Amino acid sequence: MSSAPTYTATIERVVERTPDTRSFFLRVAGGRPLPSVPGQFLSFLLPADGKTLTRAYTIASPPDETGPIEICLNRVAGGPGSAYLFGCREGDELRFTGPWGRFVIDEPSDAEHVFIADRVGVVPFRPMLARLLSGRPRFPVSLLYGAARESDLLFLDEWRTWDLRCPQFSFHPLIPGEGQGAYSIDATVVPYVEQRFVKADHNRDRRFSICGIGRPILRVRDVLRGAGYARGAVKYEKW
Amino acid sequence: MAKLHVAFEAGGPDRVIEFDPAAAPFHHDGEPGSILDVLLGHGIDLEHACGGNCACTTCHVIVLDGMEHLSENEEEEDDMLDKAPGLRATSRLGCQAVMDGGEVKILIPRYTINQQI
Repeated sequence: MSSAPTYTATIERVVERTPDTRSFFLRVAGGRPLPSVPGQFLSFLLPADGKTLTRAYTIASPPDETGPIEICLNRVAGGPGSAYLFGCREGDELRFTGPWGRFVIDEPSDAEHVFIADRVGVVPFRPMLARLLSGRPRFPVSLLYGAARESDLLFLDEWRTWDLRCPQFSFHPLIPGEGQGAYSIDATVVPYVEQRFVKADHNRDRRFSICGIGRPILRVRDVLRGAGYARGAVKYEKW
Repeated sequence: MAKLHVAFEAGGPDRVIEFDPAAAPFHHDGEPGSILDVLLGHGIDLEHACGGNCACTTCHVIVLDGMEHLSENEEEEDDMLDKAPGLRATSRLGCQAVMDGGEVKILIPRYTINQQI
């Protein structure tokens, strides 16, 4: 059991984002505010097989929203944590600690900032980008977002709205075209990143935030660091 | 059989766990056979806010002896350890350091949760 303070929240609403991805809107007991930094996660204590498992789920809602806290996650095949949550209903209670984590952004970058998301890995970027873009960034900010098909892109309307509203922001969905085979980080994301941020110029002052599922997302990190971007300029979180 | 000696900087008696590495996983948090997995599976709690997914540093441990019996650090672990409070040359993340047998001694630092912002 964690020695950190444990909170209880009630699931106020469940929204199916895609067939295997859901948002859970949580109301913390007593209406307690939960200060967080964009990108942080909550650490849920979930029962499974007579044990208490710890599973981290990133906060999808901006910290300055006054409504319930949103977490958004996909169902993981064989994963006891997501299986438990996907079995939960509105009104059920969850226990958690946090917020935790340092894969965060709270201040505007001092250079161009590129966010690279793989599937549900876009979740931490939603509060980060809301914070950055509402502050009118001085440098370009872009989101490269990879998924198998457009209907799998989470929060798509929001990205398109930011793209229209914020001159410094650009949105780049990375979806395989016809005849390009199935989506993968190696086949879809890495070539685009290489072409645009490695081969296209010698600028190595950009900042990157990368988030995705499994070890393949580390290849995006390796391509960028291998091309001369500083270690500290390439931040990532592997789920 | 492998042996894991555990000391607690915050105080309390040392513990010694003897286990069969081939029987891993012992719990479902962290890499199978990792220090975190072994501790949790033998009733010793170690903070692991991210669920043992190398996304935080709350399972930071200091290896006092037996580093050669642990898996090599990967870049991901090193990147994360950079953010750990009280980092030492033999620091590891409990969720990533997998024991291959032999005898390992670790110290669980007093402060593991000041990553919370």
